[in-house]
Amino acid sequence: MARYLVLQLSQALLVVVFVTLVVAVMLRFSGDPAVAQFQGASAPTAEQLREIREALGLNQPFLVQYGHFLGGLFTGNLGTSFRGDTPVGSLIRDAMPPTLLLALCSLLISVAISLPLGVYSAVHRGGWADQLIRFVSLFGLSFPNFWLGIMLVLIFGVTLRWLPASGYETPASLVLPSVTLGLILTSTTVRLLRAALLDVLGSQYVTVARSKGLSERRVLYKHALRNTAIPVVTFIGLQFGGLIGGGVIVEQVFAWPGLGSLALQAIANRDYPVLQGTVTVLAIIVVLVNLLVDLSYGLFDPRVRME
Amino acid sequence: MKAFKSLLVTALLAAAGSSLAQGGTLTVATAQDPQSWDPIDTFLVAWGTVAHNLYDGLIIRTPDLKLQPGLATKWTSLNGNKTLRFTLRQGVKFHNGEPFNAGAVKFTFDRLLGPEGKKGPQQANYNSIKQVKVVGPYTVDFILSQADPVLLTKLAGYGAMIVPPRYIKEKGDAYFNSHPVGTGPFSFVSYKNGESIKLQAFKGYWGGAPKLAGVTYRFIEEPATRVAELQAGRVDIAAAIPVAQAATVKGNPNLTLQAVPSPTVQALRLNVSHGPTSDLRVRQALNHAVDRDAIIKSILQGYASPIASMQSSKSFGYDPNLKAYPYDPAKAKQLLQAAGVKPGTTVGIDFIGTDAVFREVAQAVAGYFQVLGLKPELKTYETNTFYSDIIPKNKTTNAYQMGWGGWTFDFDNTAYLLYRSGQFWNPDYKSKELDALLDKQHNLSDQKQRLTILRQIAKYTRDQAIDIPLYNQQDLWGVSKRVQGFRAPSDSLLRLNTVSVK
Repeated sequence: MARYLVLQLSQALLVVVFVTLVVAVMLRFSGDPAVAQFQGASAPTAEQLREIREALGLNQPFLVQYGHFLGGLFTGNLGTSFRGDTPVGSLIRDAMPPTLLLALCSLLISVAISLPLGVYSAVHRGGWADQLIRFVSLFGLSFPNFWLGIMLVLIFGVTLRWLPASGYETPASLVLPSVTLGLILTSTTVRLLRAALLDVLGSQYVTVARSKGLSERRVLYKHALRNTAIPVVTFIGLQFGGLIGGGVIVEQVFAWPGLGSLALQAIANRDYPVLQGTVTVLAIIVVLVNLLVDLSYGLFDPRVRME
Repeated sequence: MKAFKSLLVTALLAAAGSSLAQGGTLTVATAQDPQSWDPIDTFLVAWGTVAHNLYDGLIIRTPDLKLQPGLATKWTSLNGNKTLRFTLRQGVKFHNGEPFNAGAVKFTFDRLLGPEGKKGPQQANYNSIKQVKVVGPYTVDFILSQADPVLLTKLAGYGAMIVPPRYIKEKGDAYFNSHPVGTGPFSFVSYKNGESIKLQAFKGYWGGAPKLAGVTYRFIEEPATRVAELQAGRVDIAAAIPVAQAATVKGNPNLTLQAVPSPTVQALRLNVSHGPTSDLRVRQALNHAVDRDAIIKSILQGYASPIASMQSSKSFGYDPNLKAYPYDPAKAKQLLQAAGVKPGTTVGIDFIGTDAVFREVAQAVAGYFQVLGLKPELKTYETNTFYSDIIPKNKTTNAYQMGWGGWTFDFDNTAYLLYRSGQFWNPDYKSKELDALLDKQHNLSDQKQRLTILRQIAKYTRDQAIDIPLYNQQDLWGVSKRVQGFRAPSDSLLRLNTVSVK
């Protein structure tokens, strides 16, 4: 177990370093942060650009800049934003809770809806409820999340005025963005759960269990569901990573001050330290969640041993 | 029960009364978080929209762009315009209680022109200032290295806002960035990155206490959400309403739409260094080909006005008699023929792809080019790449988007940077004649002479058809009817000290 963990963690570290390298290289191919300071509002002179580059440390060779970043990463110092002198660490610390909160709530919403629907759909396969659930989930899957978000804003924020349409102030602010993200995830989870469960229900050991005279209820909860856990948990784990990073558009629509908004802002400003820091943190979260998912397999299937 | 009811009513009335006495608060939504509140760090309009409540300049620009005394009560030119002497307002205090005086002015400009200013984009705007000298406790001299006709306007703008010396020395620049202190009508309460900044009325404001108790600015980048929050009544003033949503705002009984000409003009610049656009006749033909009025009417829904040079009618240097090339496709075809351009010749149009409105404009222009028998090729870029790589390195094809916000409302600022050879934004046009005109007005202080030369410059660029000037944009502001006394300014510098809410 310990060996497995060490191996996994060192792999994870390698992934994170590789991700930061790719980001650092790609960033430097796309526009000049010194020019981005002007945002087209005025014109920099060559002299001025040189001075800004110098002040931001951009005149150093790429490897030196990247080395600084890596060195800082291991000592917990992510540098300071090009916009003002705010430490990147404090920007990320502020943006982390909104993002985690949003991801967690969306996940809860999607699990709470998809679990009963998926199970019902598989058990009553072919029935009208199954057809309906499958249709609605396909429908849900086909919506782009920004569109769903804007529709929810118009209905619940503008027309009914039940909920705030944007911002990060009260618990009510959380409802619309997490429903938007959660619903998108729900559709996929329902379909996945249904397929996995059908697969298991058709397998031999279920037939054996049934032939032993076990009740249908017992077959389902004791034997079948447990075996669908691994693909579903894997999927949800992967999605959680996606929720953290992929909430970008939803964060944008709802003016949600999370990591996604921070990253977008940093891209627009070519704020290298902030973008590198944000991407690194996102990568670490995704890698850790996947590691947790791997570790959780042992809980569902005793045959899985971490060696 | 009855007693309880009347008690409740009294309590409610009292609450309403006290909130009236306090003036109530106002919520403004802008599209962007400037991320730094230090005047020398930024060039963002969104900064000005917030920070002109926190800070004052020596001079203040009114919503209709007139210059009036700010922290300076009067100014005179000495030494053949090489020295500007300012008499400062007395009895002014910063929000932290620190007194405003000549020392604060000197500190502000030493900081702007010194090493701290090098990190930001503002410094170059003020490099005509050689030195700021304290003459008396309330008198300062700006010693100039050359006459700078646009300096007074700049002093009403961004980097020249006066900052508190003691506060910055004690707390440091990084802290000042996120905890700004100025002499403006509102003082800083709190700031959350990517979310909001809260201000409260500064009772000791030299111009009289504001009518509002406080202002909250929320940063909402998505325009649809900004408009939704305005409709829902959770936002009182929303900046940058997209043209597509103008009708929604206008049609709402609780809202009004204010449209004001902005400093921003949109044009397609023509690359003279290669391809068919290196021929003057082709450039003139392309100018004749485009029906500006139709574009303004259909795509911008009338929220723009046609231009003949890269400036709006509000700009110093504007010439009402200078006319753009009239829409004349027949003449355009003739000119192309004379230039020997064969039908089917490719003409590239480069623009910023994320700008939904300009995308439509570019498509319309492409349609007009097609009418001439040309083969337009649309190419899109991301903003930063376009401005830092494609334009300055002369990687554009033939026609390319040039959106320009001449924030000083003086054609010099625009023309010099766009047309003077060797400038960052001018990768391809070189003309000794134009350079001479540009240089001549740049260091002149006689405004009459300057106006004449600026008009010559505008005419020259028109005759040479260096660009296809398209239109001057209007800024659209959505305003709730509970807001009283708000007039959207042309330069987006909101000062909310005279605004109140019902």
